[in-house]
This record gives sequence, structure tokens and C-alpha cells, in this order.
Amino acid sequence: MSVLSQKIIDLFGGRKEERSQLSEKFWANLKHGEVVLEARGITKKFPGGVVANDHIDLEIRAGEIHAILGENGAGKTTLMNILYGLLKPDEGEIYIRGKKVEFKSPLDAINLGIGMVHQHRKLIPAHTALENIILGHPKAGKIVDIEAAKKEVQELCDKYGFKIDLDAKVWQLSAGEQQSVEIVKALYRGAKLLILDEPTSVLTPIETERFLKSLRSMAGTEIAVIPFITHKLPEVLSVSDRVTILRKGKVVKRLETRKATMEALAKYMVGREVLFRVKKPKVKKGKEILRVENLSAISDRGFLALKGVTFSIREGEIFGIAGVSGNGQQELAEVLAGVRKASGGKVMFEGKDITHASPLERLKMGIGYIPSERVRVGSIPQFSLMENIALSLYFDREFSKWGLLDYKRIREHAEKVISEFEVMAPGIYTRAAHLSGGNLQRLILARTIPRTKKLLIANLPTQGLDVGATEFVRNKLLDCKKEGMGILLISEDLDEVLQVSDTIAPIYEGKFVDIIPAEKARKEIVGAMMTGARAK
Amino acid sequence: MKLPKLKLERVLVVTGRDAVKISVLSIIIAFVVFSAFILFEGANPIDVYKCVFSYAFDPKTGLPTMIHRSTLLLFATLAFILPLKAGLWNVGMEGQLYLGTVGAFAVAYAYGDLPSTILIPLMLISAGIFGAVYGAFAGFLRGKFGVNEIVITLMLNNIAFWLLHALIMPPTGPWRGIAESQSRPLPVSAWAPTIWRLPFTVVLAPAISILLFFLFEKTRIGFQIKALGSSQPAAEHAGINPAKIAIFVMAVGGAIAGLSAYHMWAGDPSFRLIPRPDAYKGIGELTYWGIMVGLICLLNPLAAIPLSIFVGSLREGGTVIVRRYGLTYGLDRVFLGILFLSFIALQFFYRYKIVRKKKA
Ligand SMILES: Nc1ncnc2c1ncn2[C@@H]1O[C@H](COP(=O)(O)OP(=O)(O)OP(=O)(O)O)[C@@H](O)[C@H]1O
Ligand SMILES: [Mg+2]
Repeated sequence: MSVLSQKIIDLFGGRKEERSQLSEKFWANLKHGEVVLEARGITKKFPGGVVANDHIDLEIRAGEIHAILGENGAGKTTLMNILYGLLKPDEGEIYIRGKKVEFKSPLDAINLGIGMVHQHRKLIPAHTALENIILGHPKAGKIVDIEAAKKEVQELCDKYGFKIDLDAKVWQLSAGEQQSVEIVKALYRGAKLLILDEPTSVLTPIETERFLKSLRSMAGTEIAVIPFITHKLPEVLSVSDRVTILRKGKVVKRLETRKATMEALAKYMVGREVLFRVKKPKVKKGKEILRVENLSAISDRGFLALKGVTFSIREGEIFGIAGVSGNGQQELAEVLAGVRKASGGKVMFEGKDITHASPLERLKMGIGYIPSERVRVGSIPQFSLMENIALSLYFDREFSKWGLLDYKRIREHAEKVISEFEVMAPGIYTRAAHLSGGNLQRLILARTIPRTKKLLIANLPTQGLDVGATEFVRNKLLDCKKEGMGILLISEDLDEVLQVSDTIAPIYEGKFVDIIPAEKARKEIVGAMMTGARAK
Repeated sequence: MKLPKLKLERVLVVTGRDAVKISVLSIIIAFVVFSAFILFEGANPIDVYKCVFSYAFDPKTGLPTMIHRSTLLLFATLAFILPLKAGLWNVGMEGQLYLGTVGAFAVAYAYGDLPSTILIPLMLISAGIFGAVYGAFAGFLRGKFGVNEIVITLMLNNIAFWLLHALIMPPTGPWRGIAESQSRPLPVSAWAPTIWRLPFTVVLAPAISILLFFLFEKTRIGFQIKALGSSQPAAEHAGINPAKIAIFVMAVGGAIAGLSAYHMWAGDPSFRLIPRPDAYKGIGELTYWGIMVGLICLLNPLAAIPLSIFVGSLREGGTVIVRRYGLTYGLDRVFLGILFLSFIALQFFYRYKIVRKKKA
């Protein structure tokens, strides 16, 4: 391990023994069903007049999986950050096992046995999984015995069914593995109360399956009590015991999961009926707009991730790529957007070869791209909403003359799209960093979709969106199609792909298994193809 | 007595007023801390400070030089700010000053008989181009091949130093003068016209400040620069070409530093030539203070104007107090060091603020 990480461990290493004993003692004799956490009247206001939490009461029992639902911006993350000591509530009290607590920082919460996995991951990419897990850990003492620590971590993994290559660097791990690292890290620190903020939004279906199993096995032992946030309602129904639903910062409903249905949950969340189906309009397909021939690309990790795909998209067609993340879709989207070089093959747009065109040239041709990494590449956190939107306008004659930006026009456009896409924020001068996860996704859509004229590349466009917003986005895609755009939709959600696409291509290990017209696509078959269980 | 309980809270939005408060506070802290040093040396801090500023701002003594050197500092600061807005560290202001010197003097020696109205603009343009080429080279290497621009600019500083050295040193230097190790004097037509003992270039630097401010706030390229400096991947996805921007900011930054060469040598009546290598090196090192000024004014080109004057006056006045009060040599520099440290410490308060804990 590097000297630096050793230093960091020492730094936090002070009175370790004491602390972990404190947590052990505190959690002794925990009984199943006992109330472990009670929050009363939690209120939090943000500058700009947002009341993110409005007198929230919450009760969590030992051994239960407690799901927290709510629209984007309902205040879920804020509430969890308060429970974890990251934010101070303006009002309200928190009791843990009946004892009133006041956290000055997350360190206090950690010492008391609370762990959190954030909506946006916070691992150190250049370190190994093991280093990330034991870094700054209370048990670690002055001298870290790596082998012993590794053994202990491995035992934890085995116990709850997490599969992690502990010696791999974090950047080499898939989203699902990184997720597991975060959880094991919290458990290793002795977490008895685990807060998970949208843990499954970046996981593949199989990873999700495995993750939910681990979650169950944690809740089965008396240690883990889990407020668990998600927008995926089937998950809530399948693993949680109780549900608390927030809307605009208030608790609107508490219920037991066995009494809930998907429709009911959705209605409580968004305050209206949500149809879980969208209607596919009949649109006559126009001429071919995109033609991709034998395209291949190399991934960041240096291997051939996309191994020669050939397809074409016509005007008014939604071409859906169904696949588990990590099978080359990301690379395909990036090559089409011009931010990654193709290692072979050709991209033709309206009959012109654009294989080597720059991202800017493609934007100007009317190609729009919704990236899946919303914080790193999709937005600039320290920029205001307006400036983020300007990222898609600055090169356009309409918004800039003689090298000067026309901020009046830009403001008008920003205001229009922000209300159209219902980005919840105090105003267009709010910084993107202050948006909730789902609202950030809406901002990216608001930035991209109205500026796209001919071809939209949408990579996981509904990730992290609430049910209402998901429906909204799917309808938007269909609107684009009605306007005659060609759309490339990349998704892990098979239902989503089947619902909106005209043509479906299951992708596996960098290749399309098949290309199937929607009317002939059967869910089981496409599902089997995208996991490699079935060939053409 | 019970002390009020304090706690740290994350500050989410730092207003412009907070930023000013913090900069002013760091200056006050530096004064207080430095007082301890002066007391330790056996002098009265109040007297010393009075002496510093009364010298630096006295038109009969330090003022002209102070303004002249502060302007040089402002050029250097602006040359540093622009690239850093795009995320690039230009620490090559010294070398850009030397290359600007080569550019300006080459024109002056070759076309010395042209009238001032033509010769001076030509010298400025040439100085700017030489500085720009230096900067663009570093920007190109960084933009195209990802070579670290700090390393390149530092290396080029050395090369530029020796180039100037070779030009003026006897026996072979083509620009060597009659006096030992100096260049030939500039032709009179190349001298900067002065207004009240100050060269016109003292207006040029603040004018560039205003232009840069305008560039950042209103122009397309300024927007691209800010985007790239905030997040390279997001900027690339938005169609911004990092290599082009890198070359642009480094070239313009280099040009600004290059221009300062004319200001320096043709604008100060005591020079009007290239002085001995140790003397021009001394001036070159002054440009490094631009890094500090740029960081303290938070890359705001307008705030850089008063701050350059402030630091410039401390430097000019500082040399006097060392002599007059018999302080340890170099103590005047310590003040600037303390100022920098206290500023960095206070930067912390951009992210956190101390608040009184409310009674539960
Ligand atoms: N630091 C902040 N400054 C200002 N406003 C904030 C800040 N953090 C959150 N907000 C606002 O508080 C509200 C609640 O945000 P929060 O992140 O808790 O939502 P969420 O329920 O987690 O939503 P999502 O499902 O989109 O993640 C939002 O309107 C958001 O804009
Ligand atoms: Mg959230």
C-alpha cells in the first residue's frame, strides 16, 4: 500500500479501539423489530427558498428493509445526508436506539455504526478495492496488517454474497462491483445501519438481482437496517418490508409493502396516475439517416469493446439497443458522438462519411448526445443551469454573433426548456451542483433534446428518474420520432426498449446478437440474447 | 465564562462580497503576523508600515517606480490568469518577458531610424508575437500531446534566459554594448513617451484587464475557456476542442507577458537597454509574483489591478525599510510570503464558515 494511504489511515487512526468498542457496546442485544432509528420533525431549507425536508418523521426497525420513495427532488438524498451527519437539519431530532444524537460530521455517524452509500460514488479510482475498503477504518490501528484485513474483508464478502476482486484497482471494476465495494466498506467499518441512496440505478439487471439478494441476507442477520432509496418500483415490491413516500419534502404515505401495488406507489409519489406503458405512434419511416458499417472501438481499459457492428437508422425510427452495461454500448455511443476514435469501420450520416468528424461538427449537423455519466461529462457542476444549457448553444449562429454570446437569447431559451422539462430549481442561476440527481438528468435532457435536429443518441436517458419523469422522457423520445428524427436508444431496461423501439438489437460482448423488428421481438428471447444465453 | 460553541458549516454559494472579505482579511492577517517579525527585529511596526507606504506613494520618491513595477506585475498576473481559467498553469512569464525583449529590441535595432509613431507599435507587436510563440509552443505540446505545461514553461524560461544572455554578452553577442555585459542603448525613437514620468504602457495593462474581463463575461471563446477550465470531459462532449483552447490561452497569455518587455525596458528611463544578466534576471523573477496576485484575486482580471498596485507598493517600500531600519536582508519578501500563506489558509473559508452553535 502506498505511503500516503498509510498516512491517511494513521491520521484517522487515533483512538480507534475505543471508538469501535463504543459502537459494539451501543449495538449490543439488538432485537429484531426494535425501533433503531427515529427521526422527528426533520426540516431543512436551502438557500434559494427550497424546503427540501418539511417536518419529516421516520422510523426504522432492526432487520427491516425500509424503502424511501419520492419524485426527483422530493428530498430523499437530503434526508439521508442529515441522518448521516453530512447536513445539519434546521429543525428536528434524531434518536438512535432511543438515545438522542447530534452528528457534527459523518465521522460521528460512522463511529456510531451508520454507513452510507451515496447516489454518486465516492471511491478513489487509483486505489485497489481493498485499500478503499480499509482506508480510514477505525479497526485499522497504527500498523495495518494487510493480510489479516484482507481475510476479514473476504469473510464479510462471502457472508453476504458480494463478489469483488479485492486486488483490482477501482477504475477497473464495473459499476456493480464498485457498488459492492462501497457497501463492504461501510460494513467493514462496523455499520449496523446502512443508508443506500439509489444503489441500483447504475447496476445491470443481473447485478441488481445479486445485490438485492445480498441486501436480503444482510437484513436477515440482525445487524443491518436499511433505508433504501430507489425509483425502480419492482425492486421495492420485491425486497422491502415497509415504504415511506415523500413528496415535495413531506411524508405523504407510510405503508407496508405487502399492501402496496406498483400503481398505488406511483400515484402516491407523483400525485397522479402513472401509466406504465406509453403509446407507440405510427410514423412512416423516412430515408436512411445513419449508417454504421462494421464499427469497432477500444475501451478505456485497452481492449476491443465494440467488435464490428453494422446497422442503419431511418428518419422516424427508434433503434433500441438492449444490453447489460459493459458490452460495448458506451463505446458505440461515444464513437457516434465523436468523443472516442473508432478503431475500424465507418459511420455515414445522411450519406456523408463522418467517421473522423469532430464532436462540434456532429453537433452542428444536428446530432445530439445524452451521455450516461451525468456529473462527469453531461454537465458542469459549478456552472449555473443557464450556462450548462449554453454548452449546447454557444456554437450556434442564433445565439452568438461576432464571437459574442447573446445572453438575452440564451436566457430566454434556458427559461423555456427548464420549464418544459420541469427541472426543479430556484432559478436559472442556480448551480447544477445543487440539483437533485433526477433533476440533473432532466437538465441534461433539456439541454440536448430541443437542440437536436436529426439524430439523437440517448444512452440510459431515464436513469435515476422517477416514474413520472421516466414516462415523460419516453414520450419525449416518441415526440422526436414523430418529428422525423432518428433515435438510437441504449438501455438496460428491456421493457423500456421493447416499449418504444421500432427495431431492437440485443448487444452482447461488443456485437449485436441479432437485429429484430419490434413486432417480432419477444421479451424472453431478447432477454436471453442480451445475456449471451442465446444466439441468433 | 462559557465560550460560545463554534462549528463548521459547508458554504454552498460564495458571494462576490464574501470573496472580497476573505481577500481583505488575509491582507490584514498578514499585516498582524508580520508585525511580530518587525518587533522581533526591534522596530516599531506602525512606523515601518507608515514608512513603506509613504515611500511607495510619495510622488517625489517611490511612486513612479512603484507604478512602473506594479504595471509589470499586472502584465504578469494577466498572463497567468488567462490560461488558468482554462485550467493551464502558465509559469513562463519570465521567459515570455525575455522573448518579448528579443522581439522588441530586434525591431528597434533594425529600424531605429523609423519615427516613433511607427517604430513603437512595431516593437509592441513584435514583443507580443515573440511571447505568443513561446506560449503557443507550450500550449501546443500540452494540447496535442498532453505534456505538462508547467515543466515546459519552466524549461523554456531557462532557454530564453540564455538566448538573451548570448545576444548581449561580449565578445560575440550581436547586441553587446560598450559598457560591460549590457546591450547597446535603444534608439531614442524607441523610448516610450511618458505622461508625468510614467510611460503610456501603464494604461495599456489595465486596458488589457478590462478586455480580459469582457472576454470572460461576454464572448464565445471566454465561455469555452471557462467550460474547459471547469471540466475537460464535459467541455469536450460539448464540442469544445481542448487543444485549440490550450494554444489560444497560452499564446495570448504569452503575448501579454511579451508586451511587458517593452514596458519594462523602454518605459523606465533608468534602463532603455537590456541590463546585465543578473539585473534582468532580477526583473524576470518579479513576474513570478503574478502567480500569487492571480490566485489571490481569484482569477478576476479587474481585481488584479488594485492588488498588483498593493503588492507592488509593498515591494518598492519594502526595499527602503530594510535599509532604513537595518532589518535583516530579505525581510520585505517575508511579508509577501505570509500574505500568500494566510490567503491559502483563508481559502478554507470559501468552503466552510464558522457559526455559533444554536442552543438545542
Ligand atoms: N446544496 C443544495 N443547495 C440548494 N438546493 C439544494 C441543495 N441540495 C439539494 N437541494 C434542493 O433540495 C431539493 C431536494 O433534493 P434531494 O437531492 O434531496 O432530492 P432527491 O429526493 O434525492 O431527488 P432525486 O431522486 O432526483 O435524487 C431539490 O429541489 C434540490 O434542488
Ligand atoms: Mg437523490
